[in-house]
Amino acid sequence: MTDQLVAAPMLVVLTTIVALLGLRRWPRVQRSASVGGGLAYALAVGAVAWSVVLAPDAPGAAAYQVGGWVAPFGVTLVVDALSAFMLAIAAAVGLSAAVFSVLYVDRANQRVFYHVLFHCLLLGVTGAFLTGDLFNLFVWFEVMLLASYVFVAFYGGPEHTAAGFRYLVLNVVGSALLLLSVGGLYAVTGTLNMADVSRRMAAPGAYGVDPAPAVGLAALALVTFGLKAGLVPFQFWVPGAYRSAPLPVTAMLAGVTKKVGMYAIVRVYFTVFGGATVGPSIAGVAGSSPLSFLAPVLLAMGIASILVGGVGAVVRDTIEETLAYSSVAQIGFVAVPVGLAAAAPPGSLRRLGLAAALVYALHHALAKPLLFLATAAIRSATGTNRLADLGGLGGRAPVLSACFFLASLSLVGIPPLTGFFGKFLVFDAAARRFATAPGPLGAIVLIALLAGAVLTILYTTRIWTASFWGERTPAVEDAGVDPRQTAVLAALALAIVGVGIWFDPVFEFAGAAADAALDREGYVDLVAPTGGEDA
Amino acid sequence: MSVALAFVVGGLFGLGTFLLLRRDLVRVVWGVAVVSQAANVYLISMGGVAPGTHDSVPVLAGHGEPVPETTDPLVQALVLTAIVISFGTTAFALALTYRAYEENETMDVQEWQ
Repeated sequence: MTDQLVAAPMLVVLTTIVALLGLRRWPRVQRSASVGGGLAYALAVGAVAWSVVLAPDAPGAAAYQVGGWVAPFGVTLVVDALSAFMLAIAAAVGLSAAVFSVLYVDRANQRVFYHVLFHCLLLGVTGAFLTGDLFNLFVWFEVMLLASYVFVAFYGGPEHTAAGFRYLVLNVVGSALLLLSVGGLYAVTGTLNMADVSRRMAAPGAYGVDPAPAVGLAALALVTFGLKAGLVPFQFWVPGAYRSAPLPVTAMLAGVTKKVGMYAIVRVYFTVFGGATVGPSIAGVAGSSPLSFLAPVLLAMGIASILVGGVGAVVRDTIEETLAYSSVAQIGFVAVPVGLAAAAPPGSLRRLGLAAALVYALHHALAKPLLFLATAAIRSATGTNRLADLGGLGGRAPVLSACFFLASLSLVGIPPLTGFFGKFLVFDAAARRFATAPGPLGAIVLIALLAGAVLTILYTTRIWTASFWGERTPAVEDAGVDPRQTAVLAALALAIVGVGIWFDPVFEFAGAAADAALDREGYVDLVAPTGGEDA
Repeated sequence: MSVALAFVVGGLFGLGTFLLLRRDLVRVVWGVAVVSQAANVYLISMGGVAPGTHDSVPVLAGHGEPVPETTDPLVQALVLTAIVISFGTTAFALALTYRAYEENETMDVQEWQ
């Protein structure tokens, strides 16, 4: 029974998509169906997470062989703590963005396949989190991308078309690279099932596999995953796309699809390539596994993201551009602990690094969508997002301002909000790494993290003082805030406080997710690709 | 055979990259198409060609015919999916090109505002 439940989130979204297509002629019903679909998705994810991971007698992980084709021949759907954690993030953001879309996007625009595409985006994300097959991962990435292409070019106008076109071209190149990686891995290992690849890579002799190309092939995939996550040097599409897409969708893009990139890095490097060793050494890198290659590269990308995003965010003139650069910086904070985990020897530090990354991803997935949705609420109330045209919102819309303030504080990392624990764990991992292996690298990581934290304070303060304090501008004076929009924001703000106060179960969940990412053998046993022996 | 395919894939990627960097938007769309097709050619060549057996081509077993060299059928199934995806993406890129032309009245990317 638990095994079938694995497919539930995907089935719920698919059903919603079909229903929404059928309800196109009744826009009011379609809007309710979209919200209902979001709710059903959250319930399905909750049911899966509870019965597979969180319940006292839960098995901890479950696999569903689609169509009854046994691994490695069929496509396997896998839920372990890592997938469940990411699905929970997707459900929280997806539901709030779906509700907010109905309240925010104007009615005529909602009728042109908006809701259908929104759930397609959710479907792509769900598939990417669930799948246990490398080629299938590529397909779900494309599902997610095709929906987001349309959203980036959703509104007319040369700026949006240009942003959409750039986003498309970059991602076509990214998809081609991922295809190269997947094809190469198939040629090397003779299989596409993640568990099977992992098993063969760990014991190359037994399966007649030459693991030497693994590092290069994994690096090709890293480019695509970095592009999805918006890590420097692949961050160029982020500001344009975030500015162009409808703001509730931007909340999804920043909150969830970026995390898909990070999830894929963790899953592919730690679970699939975790046991691989390639020859004596890799040029320029100490160590001889894809992980020892990942560590310096991802650390460099993460540090560069923190600095580029932070500095970029300080000088923007609209709220959403500031937030877009900020999300480049914040994804750097997720990448750095993953890099630290890859650099650490197997053990508690590696686990701590991954758990820190996951907690930070959760924090960012709560705070950043709240900020983007609050920006949307400000825009629908005042008609502008330019910092120069705003001022005095604090007195005009106190609840909205309180929510924005709370999310900003969480981004900065003030206890007891979720963001505090995210930052705390990331710094903890970096400090422990520095303590166990002192050297310039560890010091650079710590300094970059500190600089990123200071920059975060700078740009959040800048938005706050420019738009919420000061004299009320005419735009703010005439503002009419929609209380229903504010209610969605308040719900997310409560989630940030709630997760911060009852942090212990969340931390255990994140720890279990980190264990699941590192438990390579458990993953292989769960999927049990037995049929591949004679292939 | 592999060397020829390697040259074809390399040539296609080179051509695709060249086209992607053009100022003319239609050329860029050509670049999108060529790059995705280059990846597809690569994918299909990854299956390799192996001496056939009756196990790999069961349809010939009943006839008792000798089995010629065969390719891996799995990559062919994969590449079908990839072709459909790149078709959809290229079509969308063309539609965007037309919209960009209507909005800017030029196909030159550098003349965009």
